[in-house]
Amino acid sequence: MDETDRAILRELEQGLPLVQQPFAEIGVRLGIPEEEILTRIRKMKERGIIRKIRARINQRDIGISANALVAWNMPDGWDGFSRLADLPGVSHCYLRRPVPGKWEYSVYTVHHNRTESEVYSIVSQFAAEEGICDYQVLFSTEELKRVPAVRIDQTGERTR
Amino acid sequence: MFIPAARGDTITTQTEIDPIDLRLLDALQDDLPLVPRPWKDIGVQIGLSERECLQRISRLKESGIIRNISPVLESRRFGLNAGSLIAFHVPDSSIHEVAGIINSYPEVSHNYRRDHHYSIWFTIAGGTEEEIESTLSDIQKRTGISDEDMISLPTIRSYKIDVRFRCIPEGSDGRD
Repeated sequence: MDETDRAILRELEQGLPLVQQPFAEIGVRLGIPEEEILTRIRKMKERGIIRKIRARINQRDIGISANALVAWNMPDGWDGFSRLADLPGVSHCYLRRPVPGKWEYSVYTVHHNRTESEVYSIVSQFAAEEGICDYQVLFSTEELKRVPAVRIDQTGERTR
Repeated sequence: MFIPAARGDTITTQTEIDPIDLRLLDALQDDLPLVPRPWKDIGVQIGLSERECLQRISRLKESGIIRNISPVLESRRFGLNAGSLIAFHVPDSSIHEVAGIINSYPEVSHNYRRDHHYSIWFTIAGGTEEEIESTLSDIQKRTGISDEDMISLPTIRSYKIDVRFRCIPEGSDGRD
């Protein structure tokens, strides 16, 4: 990754320009031909630097208003990560190191569904099927910060 | 021409979203085609002209439903090899003050208030676990949150990271 790649990432991070030829527009800003912009982005994808380019949306605006973090204490020998990760509305699934004696939950999922009761029903049904007795559902009541984990430009979220 | 609303007028900000918008939002959460005219390709997928596709995307952006169209970067390729989920027990009265301090750290990307004894949950990313511990102890010093009122849950393994909101309900193709 060279300075030109970084400059392209900084432009992409601000959001693709909503014009007929967005990559050409970025090229104009940086003084680079459209074809080179596209080639460099393709190479950064091949090298695993860019996972994908996609729209970030405000899910609450389309009626997905429940967000829950679920902390799971799985029974010994449980290995259903792929089934858990595939539940409807699950965006993240992590194994974490718990705090013995204080907080024993080691598996974490983030759920986005239309209502809190939809989250509860998905979670409790899964727990019953998998024989999981100990879990906590923590609904979010306020989004305090949400920005991409990796930002070339560390100034954080731009206002729209 | 922009006509300002007269005093007392109701300004309607609610945007109508139709089933075509929902199909478009689903398509835009897939990987964008790397071609000179990507809106044309997306339009073909869902049966819109390039022009209408771009107009709808612009409208969804203006109304705030689309935050932006941007890359998902692989954190490990940028030296972020460690992460932790941290929970603080914070009294209701000081939540925003504490959150303001936490949010000022670029290492913190997500922070949510949650309905629990541990009322603030946030993530820290860093190069190593030591780096994360040092960021965390700095945050604790500045917020006055003791070890007693804190849990830190370092990432051992990630099984899924795919933030995508299905706009068309499952079992329906979104067509009327």
